Amino acid sequence: MGVGLAVLWTLLLALAGSALVAAIEPHRLGHGNEPGPAAELRTLPWRRSRRPDRWLHGAAPVVALIALAWAVLILPFGRELIGADLGIGLFYFLVVVDILLLAVALGGWGADTADAVECCYRVIAQLVAYVVPLGLAVIGPAMMARSLSTVDIVEAQARAGLWYVVAQPLGFALFVAAGLMQSYRAPFLEPFAQRLQQAMLASYAPPLRALWRVALSGLLFVVAAMGATLFLGGYAGPWLPGWAWMLLKTLAMIVLMLGLGRCFALRSSAQMLALSWKLLIPLGLLNVLVVGALILLGVGQGAFR
Amino acid sequence: MSTALLQWLAFALFAAIAIAGALGMATTMSMFRSGVFLMASFVGVAGLFVLLLADLLAWLQVMMYVGGMLVMILFMVLFSHDPGGAMMSEMPGLRGPERFFSLGLRAPSHEGGGSDHGGHAMPQMDMSMTTPLRRFAVVLAALAFVALAALLLLRPAWRQLDAMPAADSAHRVGELLMGKYMAAFEGAGLLILLGIFGSVYLARPSAHPGSAARERLQAAAADAPVDVAEAGDPRELQR
Amino acid sequence: MSAVPLTAYLLVAAALFAIGIYAVLAQRSAVMVLMGIELLLNATGLNAVAFWRHTAAHDYSGQIFTILIVTIGAVEMAIGLGLMLLLFRRRRTVQLDAWQALRG
Repeated sequence: MGVGLAVLWTLLLALAGSALVAAIEPHRLGHGNEPGPAAELRTLPWRRSRRPDRWLHGAAPVVALIALAWAVLILPFGRELIGADLGIGLFYFLVVVDILLLAVALGGWGADTADAVECCYRVIAQLVAYVVPLGLAVIGPAMMARSLSTVDIVEAQARAGLWYVVAQPLGFALFVAAGLMQSYRAPFLEPFAQRLQQAMLASYAPPLRALWRVALSGLLFVVAAMGATLFLGGYAGPWLPGWAWMLLKTLAMIVLMLGLGRCFALRSSAQMLALSWKLLIPLGLLNVLVVGALILLGVGQGAFR
Repeated sequence: MSTALLQWLAFALFAAIAIAGALGMATTMSMFRSGVFLMASFVGVAGLFVLLLADLLAWLQVMMYVGGMLVMILFMVLFSHDPGGAMMSEMPGLRGPERFFSLGLRAPSHEGGGSDHGGHAMPQMDMSMTTPLRRFAVVLAALAFVALAALLLLRPAWRQLDAMPAADSAHRVGELLMGKYMAAFEGAGLLILLGIFGSVYLARPSAHPGSAARERLQAAAADAPVDVAEAGDPRELQR
Repeated sequence: MSAVPLTAYLLVAAALFAIGIYAVLAQRSAVMVLMGIELLLNATGLNAVAFWRHTAAHDYSGQIFTILIVTIGAVEMAIGLGLMLLLFRRRRTVQLDAWQALRG
């Protein structure tokens, strides 16, 4: 596939994906009662200044969109229907989604109101919370498929006749939890609780704010699509064409994540960190062990090797 | 367009990003921005890694440094009195890269500015970002670059192989890490573990009184000086 | 197959290294000095990868070096930030000239 075609594909897919999320997400970002402000942060002297960093502020939504497009690049909608089938696709995905977070931090800082800077802070704290569990969750499918390429992982599931959600329910649960943290959805939306969201997004002119909406909705789409690829067999399926299966599974993932997320009380940044380091990371390590044992027992290996 | 030209163009782009980012990091007045510039520099170097067909390393680099620099920025903002560079960027006498990389840090609006400044008193503090060694450092850095470049350009020719590395460098690197370089790999893991222990030990909250505890201690010290010896280092309480 | 010669990469690395030296020597804030050190390490990593590609592309040891350099950079950053947190708690500053003696 030519470079231009790949660029067009990623942009279209990013737009379509975020439109999909925006259509089914009930309240979008920032509903509910936001937890209290960080009192200590409020007392720092520089909080009084109101001098935006114009460069960073303007650059932030652009960086976010670029990161989103990069992440979309490796989502497989068919054996050939993929922007680029990188050999290290999964690792690349983890990296690229972090860049989106960088964009949020830039925007929060650039807006330079107290609440927006707090948003920037909480986003970074959330990074520390989700990144290790997410990595441990996605290692499982890569181990079973013996590849980091997204297409290979889907093919391996098809060959083994086993969705990895069945073989690795623990990894799937971890992925859902970490994915919700990563996409700033229901129980983990502290950086985008209402007050903060108003501070960060409201500092942008409407066209740029629309870009932010695309990026933040697209984030959930990308995470859900990755979940569908890793655990739900991706584009493989009978009767329907591959892209339809992938879309359906992504939709199911989004509904599942949003629905599950609404069943839990909102967590503060500190609670997220505690949850991550005390519960999710040990579970993730356990998951890696279990998956290793399953592979030795021949689960999910199919006709392969 | 030929691949050679394309490679040169990509090289020029990434090299420019890497060097401009590094320059921006070293010279901008905004500490937040300098963290971002350093990230840009690392991304430029990651691009060079891709050109060198080490794509695994490229993404590893981006991941480590985007996350790492974000956390570093967070600390920088905590530790600095002027992390956004708003005051420093108004200093007269910013020249060259210092001026260029500090553009767009908006000056305070003068109608509301007066009350803004009243909050914190640190007028006498030396706010400058650089040490008095700066001129010397410029000379030394320039000398280092000239010396390295001269050595590179005047060196005798090295034997170079123009073999193509295998396409799946990730696979090969993984095998080396788990085989030949197992000891180094495990050593790095141990190093990280020790690093975690060390920094947690250094930064543990109980090591030194926080501001609330400090006030309590100071109050106690005012009442009964005898307690101070038990409460902690007296020099610390005076601060 | 690589149109860009080894020397070009090494020159870029030399420039990064020089800028890193400037940052380490000239910056007052400890965090900025730490960032300068990261730049120095990064220039070294670029050198290692460039040499790997142009002199020993069949042997992936060059990449291992860089991975280890990145790891050490991360650990150094963590320890450095831990130290700075400690210093900041004591005197409310991480300007290096305020810390000429680490005793007390």
